[in-house]
Amino acid sequence: MDLQLALIFLQQGIASGLVSGSIYALLALAIVIIFKTSEVPNFAQGEVFMAAGYVALYLFVFQKLPIWIVLPATLVAAFLAMALFRRIVLDQVAKSAKDLVYLVIATLGLSYVLKGLVRRTGFGDTPRSFPALVPTDSVMIGQASVTILDLTILGAALAVMAAFFWMFNYTKMGRAMRAVGMNPKAAQLVGVDLKRCHMTIWGMSGVISAIAALLIAPKILMTADMGSIVMLAFAAAIVGGFSSLPGAIVGGFIIGIVENMVGLFISSRAIVLAPFLAILIVLVIRPQGLFGGKLTIKKV
Amino acid sequence: MHDLLEIEGISASYGRIQALSEVSLRVPEGAIVALLGSNGAGKSTTLNTVSRLVPITRGSIRFAGEPIQAWPSHKVVSSGILQVPEGREVFREMSVRENLDMGAYRRSDAAGIKRDLERVFDYFPKLRERLRQKAGTLSGGEQQMLLIGRALMAGPRLLLLDEPSLGLSPVLVQQIFAIIQRLNKDGLTILLVEQNAAIALGSSSYAYILENGEMALEGPSETLRRDDSVRRTYLGG
Repeated sequence: MDLQLALIFLQQGIASGLVSGSIYALLALAIVIIFKTSEVPNFAQGEVFMAAGYVALYLFVFQKLPIWIVLPATLVAAFLAMALFRRIVLDQVAKSAKDLVYLVIATLGLSYVLKGLVRRTGFGDTPRSFPALVPTDSVMIGQASVTILDLTILGAALAVMAAFFWMFNYTKMGRAMRAVGMNPKAAQLVGVDLKRCHMTIWGMSGVISAIAALLIAPKILMTADMGSIVMLAFAAAIVGGFSSLPGAIVGGFIIGIVENMVGLFISSRAIVLAPFLAILIVLVIRPQGLFGGKLTIKKV
Repeated sequence: MHDLLEIEGISASYGRIQALSEVSLRVPEGAIVALLGSNGAGKSTTLNTVSRLVPITRGSIRFAGEPIQAWPSHKVVSSGILQVPEGREVFREMSVRENLDMGAYRRSDAAGIKRDLERVFDYFPKLRERLRQKAGTLSGGEQQMLLIGRALMAGPRLLLLDEPSLGLSPVLVQQIFAIIQRLNKDGLTILLVEQNAAIALGSSSYAYILENGEMALEGPSETLRRDDSVRRTYLGG
């Protein structure tokens, strides 16, 4: 491969990687905000993403509702589904079982329920596409070719991340959420309503997943299995340290870029290996992840 | 003086282990009452039942005459009962300032919060110098001060202090207890849990002694200090 081509591939890999990476970053963010506060990896995150996509598809394509109703309705549905799951299912499970493992299994249950529901409606039988709301014309950035849609995805994802960053760091609610993540007992002792806080966090995590689904839907064929993309988000979260919000975002972009680079420079068949390669390299060099705190050994 | 806190025959358990049985105690408004006992006697559990972190299986808890045993923990905080937990339960990754702001979580009266912040600096001038420092990097004594300061930010009527002397040097213990006395003089009612019976009996007006989750003894602190069995068991001779 000559240098000229390699440079073009490099630029294209970064540009495409940032676009797909922004989706992984959003989903990783959704996973990490739950993990930090509930200590539960939510294995239904991918299915929440998928189901939110189908809600939007149903409202927009089948019910022909205007988009300014479809977007907020989808986000509200995702918020409510996750918040109620936390309040009704998980609080109940936590009451009867002290071990966190039961909560993790409950999230697996949610993933099957959501997949089953989408399958039952019949919309998931054939791959469907969501119409793009912005033009898909190509533009050149340097020597990389991207579409206006790609730029919209990246821009919107960055805006969502910035909004959540601001919320967590500079609002009373965000500070309470961080407090719950650091020390739930102390948070209760200053008067944080733990149940409500958890509901809000799970709801927000649902909203972030739904935004990811709305952004990526026009670029992919929607199926009931599209939630499997969450594997890459978990990879992103691990690369970032699993308990760091900036880590999740940086991890998402790294996974996106590595994936595209592997596809361009090695083989498109090697793409599936890329995220695991990234995890392996990061964990060998920095076992706590890029943004993880000091390694601590938990007594069990 | 009427009783600000009345605990009446409460029992609590962790799973099958009975942690408290039929415990009663009263804290008169404006007093410092000490709750003593050895490790595992149920002192912290008693505070946690009042803070509504541990449910009670029987009995009643009243604050200013109102039964609170069915309240959620955040309502207890809003009503003015603040626990200062043992074991450095600060928000480690947050700055000292953010920790103090968290103390005022349930308040929205900006002027009152600002006044109380100045009051906290008045009691603990050191905290003002460390406002931007992360709470986890403070020394043990400073973390204890921050915990008390955080509770003061909520504008409490009743302070539940859990082992404020734990792990501190004798000099720091003196300092902390001097502050506790000052807080009480300034109008705060205090329920003090301690293993250090000598200092607790010295600074309280009335004391209770828990043994294995049951109330073993109670009386004016002055009397307990001279009681032979108390001296043998808790004051080391």
